[in-house]
Amino acid sequence: MTCAILMSRQNPDGGWPYRTGASWTEPTALVLLAQTVSEGSRDSFERGLRWLRAAQRRDGGWPPCTSVVQSIWVTSFVLLLSAEHLGEESYSRGMEWLLNQMGEESTFIYKTRQLLLGHRAPADQGDAGWPWFPGASAWVFPTAAGVLAMRKAVPTRRVRERLDAGRRFLLARMCADGGWNHGSTHALGYEAGSYPETTGMALLALSDVPQERLRRSFKTAQGELRECRSAEAASWLQLGLRAHGMSVEADASPALKYRDVRDTALGVLATAAAHGKSAFL
Amino acid sequence: MALAGCAETRRPGGRAQRREIPVVSVVRQQGYTEDLYATVRRTLAGHHLDVRGKTVVLKPNLVEFEAGSVINTNPMLVHAALEAFKAMGAANVRIAEGPGHRRGTLDLADAAGYFKTIPGFEELFTDLNLDDVSQIELAHPVSRLQSLYLPHTALSCDLLVSIPKMKTHHWAVATLSMKNLFGVVPGGVYGWPKNVLHWAGIAECITDIHRVFPRTFALVDGIVGMEGNGPIQGTAKAAGVIVAGKDLAAVDATCCRLMRIDPLHVEYLLLSRDSTELAQAAIRQAGEPIASLSTPFELLPQFRSARL
Repeated sequence: MTCAILMSRQNPDGGWPYRTGASWTEPTALVLLAQTVSEGSRDSFERGLRWLRAAQRRDGGWPPCTSVVQSIWVTSFVLLLSAEHLGEESYSRGMEWLLNQMGEESTFIYKTRQLLLGHRAPADQGDAGWPWFPGASAWVFPTAAGVLAMRKAVPTRRVRERLDAGRRFLLARMCADGGWNHGSTHALGYEAGSYPETTGMALLALSDVPQERLRRSFKTAQGELRECRSAEAASWLQLGLRAHGMSVEADASPALKYRDVRDTALGVLATAAAHGKSAFL
Repeated sequence: MALAGCAETRRPGGRAQRREIPVVSVVRQQGYTEDLYATVRRTLAGHHLDVRGKTVVLKPNLVEFEAGSVINTNPMLVHAALEAFKAMGAANVRIAEGPGHRRGTLDLADAAGYFKTIPGFEELFTDLNLDDVSQIELAHPVSRLQSLYLPHTALSCDLLVSIPKMKTHHWAVATLSMKNLFGVVPGGVYGWPKNVLHWAGIAECITDIHRVFPRTFALVDGIVGMEGNGPIQGTAKAAGVIVAGKDLAAVDATCCRLMRIDPLHVEYLLLSRDSTELAQAAIRQAGEPIASLSTPFELLPQFRSARL
C-alpha cells in the first residue's frame, strides 16, 4: 500500500477529509505522517502542512476540524510530525498545550473535591493520562497517542514525567486477557473485554516497556489480528506487534476494507513499519 | 388508528399549556421475518407523517461487532423503515449513526448485517461521528453543557427517526429512543466514548439533545431486546413488539411499561416531562394493549425498585 492512493483525496484547501467533505485534523496528520515514510508528493505534503499550521488554535492545540473552536486530543497526532515540519514555534506551542492536558480525574480541583467528600480514588487513577476532549476523563486511545507524541519530543523533565505517568496509566488499564479496552478494566463489577484498535495502539505506545510484562498482550494482539474486521484496528495491531519485534503472521487480511482516508493512511504506515520504517518511534 | 387530541398540563412552576396528547403504537411482531415490512408500513401510515418530498434520517443503534447478538438494532427493521418512508413519498431517506465505542462505523455496520440486508447501504449511510458539524447553543440546558457540536446530516433533515433496540441500561435503567440520540453527538469531536456527556450528566444530556431535535419519530426494536446488564453485556429478551410514535418521551414511557419498568424511575423521562404527562392515561395507546405484550426485563439489583 502506498501514499499515491491518498493524493486524489486531498481537498483544495490542502487538508484531507475522513471520507468526503471538510478537512479534518486526524486524517490530515496521518496522511502527512504516512508521507514521511512512504513516497508521496512534495507539493501535496507542503499544502497539507500549510493547512495544519493554519488550523492551529491560539492556545497551541489543534481542533478536530476548523468549524470547531476547541483544541482536542488530535493535537497528539499532529505532534508526531517533527518541529522541522511544523515549524519550531508551532510545534512548541502544540507541545505546551498537550503537556497541560490531563484527564479531569487527575486535576488538582477534582482530587481536592473528592478528598473533601471523603471519596477514595480508584487504584487505577493514580497516574494522569489524556482525555479525548478537555474536561473529561482520560482514556486509553488518547493516552496512547499522547505517549507517542511525548516519545518524539525533546525529553525535558516535564515530558519525562508525563511519559512515565502515561505508561503507568496504560499498564494499569491492561485487561485480564492482556489487551486494552478503551477505558477501565472493569465496569460495574464486570470484566471489560479488550478491543483490537486500543490493544494495538497501547502496544505501540509501550514499545519501550520490557517484553516480560507484555507476554499476554502479544498473544491477545495476535489473536485479535486474526479475527479483526476493521482495517484501522488491523493496522494498529500490526504497528504495535512490530514495534516489539513480534512476528505478524500475515499482512492484513484481503477481506479488510480500507474505507476512508484514516484507514488507508494507517495501512500505509503499517506497511512502512513492516519494511523497517516506523513513523511513530 | 386514533388521532391525537389535546390536554392542558402544568409544568413545575410554570404556566398551564395545551399540548397534543401523544399517540403511541404498540404492535405485535414476533420475529425478523418478511411480514415485518408490512407491519412497519402499516404502523407508520397510522401516524399520518407527511414526508412527501422531505429528507428523512433513520438513526439505528449500532454498538458492537456482534452480528448474532442483540446489541444492535436489527437491520431488517431499518430496511423496512427505509422502504416504508420511500413508499410514503420521502425525497431522500438516509441512514446515519455515530457509535459511542468503536471508531470503524462502517465495519461495525457490516458486521451487524447492514450491508447484506440493505442494498446500496454504503451510499445511503452517513457516519455521524465524522460528518461536518456546527455548534448549536442549547436553550435552557438542564445539563452543564451550554452548546454542542452536532452533525449537519441530523440537523438539516426534516424528520429524524430514532430506531433503538429496547434494552436495559446499567446507568440509565433503560435505553430507548431518547437515549439513542446520544449517537448523533460526533465522536470525531468528543471522542469514543463521548465522555463529555457523562461528565455533564447522562440524564441531563439526553434531555438536552432531545430538545435540539423537534422533528422526531421513534420506532423501537422490541422484537428481541436486551435485559440485565445492558446495553452491551446483557442477554436477549424476546418481547415480540414494535413501539412507535412522534413523541419520544411518550414512546419511551410506553416501552418502560412493556418492560415492566416504572417510567417515573427513569431520570431522563422525568427531566423531559412532567410526571403527569408520563402517566399511562396521558398517552393515547394504539394497537395492542400494553398488558397483552408486557414482559419483565431483568434489572440490575440497583434498579429493582423501578420494577412495575
